[in-house]
Amino acid sequence: MQTHFITDTDLVTFFTSLEKRGPMYMAVRDEEGTVRVKPSSEVGSYSYPGVRAFQPLKPFFFSALEEVAEYPSADKPLKEARPFTIVGAASCDLRAIEALDRVFLEGDFKDPFYEEKRSKALIIGFDCTDPLETCFCVLMGVEPYVEKGFDLGLAKVEGGYVVEVGSDKGKQVVDDNKGLFKPATENHLSQRKALRDKTRDIVEKQSREYKPATTWQDLMSKVYEDSTWARNVETCVECGACLFICPTCQCFLLYDQRAGDRFKRLKMWDSCVYKNFTRVAGGANPRERLIDRFRHRYYHKLDYFPKTYGFEGCTGCGRCIVACPGEIDMRKVLKEADKS
Amino acid sequence: MKNVYRPIDAEILEVIDETPTIKTFVVEPKEDIGFATGQFMEVTVPGLGEAPFTPSSSPNVKEKIDFTIMSVGKVTEELHRMTKGQMVGVRGPMGKGYPLDAWKGKEILIVGGGVGAAPLRSLFLALVERLDDFKKILYCYGARTPGDIVYKEQILDKWQKINPKKIEIRTTVDEGDSTWKGNVGVVTTVVKDLGIDINNSVGVVCGPPIMMKFGTFALVEQGYPDSAIHLSMEKNMSCGIGKCGHCMLGEYMVCQDGPVMTYDKVKDKPAIWD
Ligand SMILES: Cc1cc2nc3c(=O)[nH]c(=O)nc-3n(C[C@H](O)[C@H](O)[C@H](O)COP(=O)(O)OP(=O)(O)OC[C@H]3O[C@@H](n4cnc5c(N)ncnc54)[C@H](O)[C@@H]3O)c2cc1C
Ligand code: SF4
Ligand code: FES
Repeated sequence: MQTHFITDTDLVTFFTSLEKRGPMYMAVRDEEGTVRVKPSSEVGSYSYPGVRAFQPLKPFFFSALEEVAEYPSADKPLKEARPFTIVGAASCDLRAIEALDRVFLEGDFKDPFYEEKRSKALIIGFDCTDPLETCFCVLMGVEPYVEKGFDLGLAKVEGGYVVEVGSDKGKQVVDDNKGLFKPATENHLSQRKALRDKTRDIVEKQSREYKPATTWQDLMSKVYEDSTWARNVETCVECGACLFICPTCQCFLLYDQRAGDRFKRLKMWDSCVYKNFTRVAGGANPRERLIDRFRHRYYHKLDYFPKTYGFEGCTGCGRCIVACPGEIDMRKVLKEADKS
Repeated sequence: MKNVYRPIDAEILEVIDETPTIKTFVVEPKEDIGFATGQFMEVTVPGLGEAPFTPSSSPNVKEKIDFTIMSVGKVTEELHRMTKGQMVGVRGPMGKGYPLDAWKGKEILIVGGGVGAAPLRSLFLALVERLDDFKKILYCYGARTPGDIVYKEQILDKWQKINPKKIEIRTTVDEGDSTWKGNVGVVTTVVKDLGIDINNSVGVVCGPPIMMKFGTFALVEQGYPDSAIHLSMEKNMSCGIGKCGHCMLGEYMVCQDGPVMTYDKVKDKPAIWD
């Protein structure tokens, strides 16, 4: 695909023009230095985020709570989503969207609510330049710079940005604003390469000690009975924070309610660490013990998901490490398993 | 775009008391909704929620569908309070049912217990409707007491008579009573002296967890290879379409990869009998 260059000021003009598509959300640093995704109307001036946002991007496609049906049947057409733009998907965010795409758009049934919103999104990714201490994307086969899954990919270089086109949708919006883009030069590309190598190096170094001896799947095949689960589950308070903040966690519950003289069905995020998640009639529960539920998350991400889709269900974004009130660090849990 | 979460309206045409805790609901869906035997559907009690059930009627009857349901909790208790003329919702069909085409020319051993009789009746009817395709059906069914036998008339006589040469029904109860003349003992006590060529046979097991476990072991003991034993895996389910994660068993989403799964696939997964 094509690679362009755009200046700092032209990028702002470009974003303004994209706002005509519909709502725009931007990942930018707040006063405390945390990158957050906000409506562009609340962003004073655009600045390069440098690293993934605090919150995952999944709510844009898979809402925490949404109405999915009303009955008795009226068979009304599904609500159309408005086109919208996300500026600031890190590489791990793009991998997470790929994971959710596989879950919600493949198989015998598609989730029409996910599909509708997904089809209306224009996603602008960026190369990371300031990884967090909790970033370990490279251990999950994800580079800290955008490779695929974006419509446009940005990389900060001197005086502007290298803009890589990743899809037809991305090409279209570039073509619509032709005057703003110039061809990227060798110099631009070598600056981008240097930054990519530098960032990769940082993440690689801080992740090295957590690298599995062989592959994650191989590790998981050996450690189901390991003592790491019992040791590390001790500070788990079953809050579900790690799952709600996880960019790939897909679990939900359908929940029915009365609405006047009709009924509606809601789809809301659920969490496999909750005790009732797997309880069946008569009270039997295959994951009765917290340790079984705690371990399930690791197995889903690193064993079951790859068995089905061919890549890890963890992106290495490190959000669960930051979110856990029990200070459980996934990297350490797995490292302990690998050591024993 | 099809809304996979929307229930189709269905009217309750008839409610049949089967046992003190089990009723069969004959419902008429207001839109087309076929199924293959062994597939399941989500049945909605309006405003209260859904639960998964396998139709107990023949897949070849399209206008109405039977669900045989045991009262065990929130949704099922409310269903048991419902009567003829009331509306429920149905969503489906979902999952993989019994691979009847792959069973052509084979002898079929069915082992069931309790409300596991529901999918097995659908299976039995589907097999009988193309009986030429199969060599033999041996159906072993166990209930706690004679009063707990779900489909009494079929099991005691009618089914056998359809074709006494090809069909054999063995019914047993854990505890007999003064009227009971049949076998007493758990269902595995009748899973022997099968008179079946195991090499040309498939086994089907469906029932409460404990029965699933010992039923499966009994088939293994009789010499059935793991890949010939078809189990109905009962897991907690919500979406039924492979998205919500509730029914995960190892890497499988039981609602899509099952509910009928062969023993070789699930044998090494965590907590398969719970
Ligand atoms: C594929 C499949 C086919 C089934 N076929 C039949 C059948 O033909 N006849 C029959 O009587 N029963 C069948 N069951 C079991 C039936 O689904 C449960 O008895 C029913 O879900 C209990 O719901 P409840 O609200 O009455 O129970 P509660 O214990 O009050 O359950 C509350 C909630 O827990 C969850 N839950 C509890 N048990 C189950 C369960 N076993 N599966 C999924 N979710 C559960 C549900 O979300 C439910 O709403 C089947 C189950 C599965 C998975
Ligand atoms: S995990 Fe990698 S891709 Fe994600 S924010 Fe950190 S450095 Fe960037
Ligand atoms: S019931 Fe939702 S994934 Fe199986």
